[in-house]
Parts: sequence; structure tokens; C-alpha cells
Amino acid sequence: MRHAFAIARRELRSFFVSPIAYVVVTIFAFLSGAFFSNMLVYYVKQSTIADRQIALVGRSDFQLDVPTMFLGEFFKNESFILLLVLPLLTMGLITDERRKGTLELLLTSPLRPGELVAGKFLGAMAFLSVMLAPTVPLFVFLALGGAWEPGVVLASYIGLLALGGAQIALGLFVSSLCENILISAFGTYGVLLILHFVDTSATIARSIWVDFINFFSFNFHYLNFTRGVLSLGDVIYFATYMALGLFLTQRSIEAIRFKRS
Amino acid sequence: MISVQQLTKKFGRQVAVDSLTFEVQKGEVLGFLGPNGAGKTTTMRMVTGYLPPSGGRVRIDGYDLYDHPIEVKRRIGYLPENPPVYPELTVRQYLEFVAEIKDVPVSRRKAAVDRALERAQLQEVRDKRVGKLSKGFKQRVGLGQAIVHEPPVLILDEPTSSLDPKQRVEVRHLISQLKGEHTVILSTHILPEVSEIADRVFIINRGRVMAVDSPANLSDRLRAREMVTVQLRIPGRVGPGDSGKLCEEVRSAFAALQGVGDITVQPDDDAVTVKLESAVGVDLRPEVAPLVVGRGWQLLGLAADSLSLEQIFLTLVSDENEEARLPPSRAERASASLAEAFGEGGKPRTTSQVDGGGKLMGGSAGL
Ligand SMILES: Nc1ncnc2c1ncn2[C@@H]1O[C@H](COP(=O)(O)OP(=O)(O)OP(=O)(O)O)[C@@H](O)[C@H]1O
Ligand SMILES: [Mg+2]
Repeated sequence: MRHAFAIARRELRSFFVSPIAYVVVTIFAFLSGAFFSNMLVYYVKQSTIADRQIALVGRSDFQLDVPTMFLGEFFKNESFILLLVLPLLTMGLITDERRKGTLELLLTSPLRPGELVAGKFLGAMAFLSVMLAPTVPLFVFLALGGAWEPGVVLASYIGLLALGGAQIALGLFVSSLCENILISAFGTYGVLLILHFVDTSATIARSIWVDFINFFSFNFHYLNFTRGVLSLGDVIYFATYMALGLFLTQRSIEAIRFKRS
Repeated sequence: MISVQQLTKKFGRQVAVDSLTFEVQKGEVLGFLGPNGAGKTTTMRMVTGYLPPSGGRVRIDGYDLYDHPIEVKRRIGYLPENPPVYPELTVRQYLEFVAEIKDVPVSRRKAAVDRALERAQLQEVRDKRVGKLSKGFKQRVGLGQAIVHEPPVLILDEPTSSLDPKQRVEVRHLISQLKGEHTVILSTHILPEVSEIADRVFIINRGRVMAVDSPANLSDRLRAREMVTVQLRIPGRVGPGDSGKLCEEVRSAFAALQGVGDITVQPDDDAVTVKLESAVGVDLRPEVAPLVVGRGWQLLGLAADSLSLEQIFLTLVSDENEEARLPPSRAERASASLAEAFGEGGKPRTTSQVDGGGKLMGGSAGL
């Protein structure tokens, strides 16, 4: 496993040499901040209206649990941004090593393919954490205001990492299949979009298949986290995707050696 | 140190390496010499554990590659055809990374990197990004990477390819320094290079060893030469009758040139073809024209051709012992296939066919 850390460290170092990393982190921070403030303003407005209605009529049509709703919306948006950004992060993970010929270095070094895959995954996860870090101060701001739900926030961050981990693992696998980073990126977008949104088709269908289809949806499981529900089932769900992605990547790297390099 | 048995690689139906068997002793330098597509890279990739072989065994330092891949890989330093570098890292960062994944213990890592920097003469660029380096330096980074963990076995795939002559000499010098401490396999297209460094040379083509020899014998047999082919007409002196005298006259005329070696004169119906050999680097062409014109002869053609690898291989394949060993039809087929292999890859052909070309045609005709 020592090797995995070496590879993860190198990966992270290479990320932060390229300007893309800074652009991605900045865009992510900027979009998160924009969503955060816009939605905050929106919910404050809604609750002001509700307050006024209660003052005038004595009741309101709005059923508001503002902190929970706000957090739910915010973290839902965060998951969309992840969906947008992570394929750009994972597209080159293995593809670049193949293109540069460094895969030949790695695979002729005394490390197991499993360590290589783990290292790549850890590196990307570390980058994801760096990317999420600038959103933390937003909640400090919320906490200063008094009304915040630390449990929901914590669960949502765990959800984001779980979701991101599953996306990275699958992106890593797609990357190991592709010799071209554009194809890798589009392939990953395809896989992740389908997996994320299959549940929206299920809500229309309304049949016994609903549960079945929902079960496969990233979104469905992720939303549980954003409601502050930390269930073992959802954690295992994402962990399974991660394990599957990493396992397939390892097999695929072994298969690369049988094909044209 | 290195023991390879019946090593075979098939890509679909194409056999890239055909049951290759060889041993390399500790401290020995083995050179692979072969044209494009001969199977040099494929062999090296199998020995280093990058490509799984279709058949055969590889043992390094007593460990079988299949049973103990990690032990074997720890003992090998490998420079692939293209140096496997991360352009965004500095040379030092890169070597540190390689040292780490090659299991150099933390306590020795810094010393190992410093030593590799020194041996590969990289100190002046050690804090530069690898991507910003010239090709020669990148190649040296590749070498530094191969030696950073002080492996007993070095496998170098065309370590001097795509370098300019000066860099080539430097890298060659570097490899000769590594000789002795390491057991080395290296591949190349360049004959002088292999004869300078290697203790033993394998000529490989189509995945098979065509010849094994010490470089001294090899270069004796195949001393590289330059060749100039001159076609001229001697007004009024044409005819079969006095061809002997004519040849003598032409020969003595050209023998006066400085630096000329063997001269062959071949009279045709209405022209004379003269082949002048000289040492590598001597160009006789500028002096030929004034000489011919000064004698009142007519110059019909003038072309230079160094004795290329192409012809060297042909010489080797159609070599006496080789022919004796193989049934004639197979020898012919081998040379014909070489001709095919070199069809596009070799040096640009000049207008006149030289010796090797003639043989080449003969080989194909025999099929
Ligand atoms: N991954 C692969 N898939 C299919 N065929 C391959 C593959 N790698 C090599 N070959 C084929 O195997 C043969 C040997 O190739 P190899 O790269 O070993 O030659 P080489 O001696 O290294 O040539 P060069 O001097 O050009 O480097 C070639 O005909 C090549 O086309
Ligand atoms: Mg090659």
C-alpha cells in the first residue's frame, strides 16, 4: 500500500501543477458560493412572505422548514456540479499514463496493479476533498446566524464524498478503457448521467419497478444523505460502486497489457 | 543473470517473437540489433514483465518472472523506447517518485536520487520541469530513472534513438560507464554503437536470432564504408577489344584520388561504371567530377551511398556459414524478407544500385 500513497501523491502534485486544477477548484468554489447565496436569499424571502401571511391572515400556505430545505437544495446542486466536474478530473487518470508511456514504467515497477488503482483513486479523492474544502466556510457563516443543522451538513458532506467516490471509481474505469481523453470524458459523462438520473424516469412510471430502478440511481441514494439520513444501506450502496469500479479498473489494466500499448 | 527460454509472443496470427532462447551472464552487455519490427521492443517488454508472453520463461537472478513478478521487477531498470516521464514534474521530483515506487528505502532515497542525477549528468537541470527539457536530456532522465534503484539488470530500448550525434556519443559514454556494475541488454539500429558497448550482439529479424557474434568479429566482417558510384563514357574508346586496358586506365586515374579505398571498374557496352569505396565520413564526390572532365571523359552519373544497415543485414543473412546452416530456399526467403522489411525503412536509395541491392534482387528472384 506504500506504493499507492506514492502514486496518489504524484497524482495530486501533477494536478496542482496544471492550471486546470486551479480552474476547476475556482469554478467549483464560485458556483457553490453563488448557489449558496442565491438560495439563501430566496429562502429568506419565502420565509419573510410566510411570516407576513401569518401576521395578516393568521396562517400560511407555505410549509417551511427553512434550514433543512435550504441544505437539501444546496447539496443537491453540489451533486450536480460534481457530476459536471469529476469526469474532467478522471478522464486522464489512466488514459494519460498510457499516452505518455508512463504506464510502462508503473507496470514494470515492483507494485501490484491493485496498488496502482488504489493510488489513482486516493489521489482523485484527495483532489475532491480539496475541491470541497472552500465550501466549508459557508457553513461557518450559517452557524454564526444560529439556525443550522450540523447533523444534516455532516451527513451531506459524507454523502458528497460517497457520491464523488463512486463517480471517481467509475470514471477511473472508463479512463482505463480509453486511449483518448475526449472519449474518456464523454464516456464517463454518459455512464454517470444515466446512473444519476434513472430515478427521474421511475417517478413517472409508478409501478413495481420504481423501487428497483430507484435502487440503481445515484441521486435517489444521495438525497437521503442531504435529508440528514445516514443509513448503512446508502453507504454500502456507494461503497459497492467504488469497489466495483476499482475492481474493473484493475482487470482492465491487466487486460491493456494484452492489447496494443 | 538473465535466462530466457523459448520466449514467444504472438499478436493474433503474427508471431512477433519466435521462441527466443538466450542467457546473459552477470556484468555482460548484450546488444540486440535489428530492423524495424524485428521484435526487439516486444522481447524487452516481455523480459521486464510489461507484456505477458504467449509462451516461454524468463528468469532474472534466479527468480521466475511468472511466479515472482515483484522480485524480478525490483531487480530491473528499464528504459522503454520513449522515456516514461511526467512532464509536469521536475527532474528531481520525478526521480524521487521513481525511487519510491521502485522500493528504495526512505533513508537511502535522497542519496539514490543524487547518485542518479550525477551518473546521468542531470545536475544542471535537476530543478527544471522534465517537459521543458531537450530530447537528449529527456533521454538522460529516462536513463536516470532506470538506474535510480541500482538494479543489477538494465534493459535499455534504443537508448540513443532520436538523439543528435553529440548527444548520442554522450549517452553511449554513459552506458559504457554503467557497464560492469550492471548486466545490460540494449537494442539499437546502429551498428557502431553496439560494437562499441556490447560484449555480444544478437542480430534479430522477424522475431528470430539471425546471428550471434562478438562485435569485433561483426565489425570486421562489416566494416562500415562509404561508396560512390560513378558512371562515365570515354569518347572513342568503346569496344570489347581493349576493355582490359581501359579498366586499368580508369582504375589508375581514380586511384590518384585522396582517401579512396577499393575500386571496382565495370565496363558496359557504351559506358563504364566505377565504384569507389572510402572510409566513413570521406566524401569523394567533389573530386570525381573535375577528374573525369579533366581527362576528357563524359560524366553520366554520380551517386553516393554509404554501406547501410540494409546491406549489412543482407551481408549477414547471405553470409557463408548462415547459408551453410540453412537450406538454400530458406536462406533466400530470409534475405527476401529482409529486403521487404527494409523496403521503406532503410536509407533513401540512390539512382544506381549498389552491391547489396543486386543481391537483394537476386534473393527475390529466387522465390
Ligand atoms: N501491441 C501490439 N499489437 C500487435 N502487434 C504488435 C504489437 N506490438 C508490436 N507488434 C508487432 O510486433 C512486431 C515487432 O514489433 P517490435 O516493436 O517488437 O519491433 P522492434 O524491433 O522494437 O522495432 P523498432 O526497431 O521499430 O522499434 C511488429 O511487426 C509489430 O507490428
Ligand atoms: Mg522497438
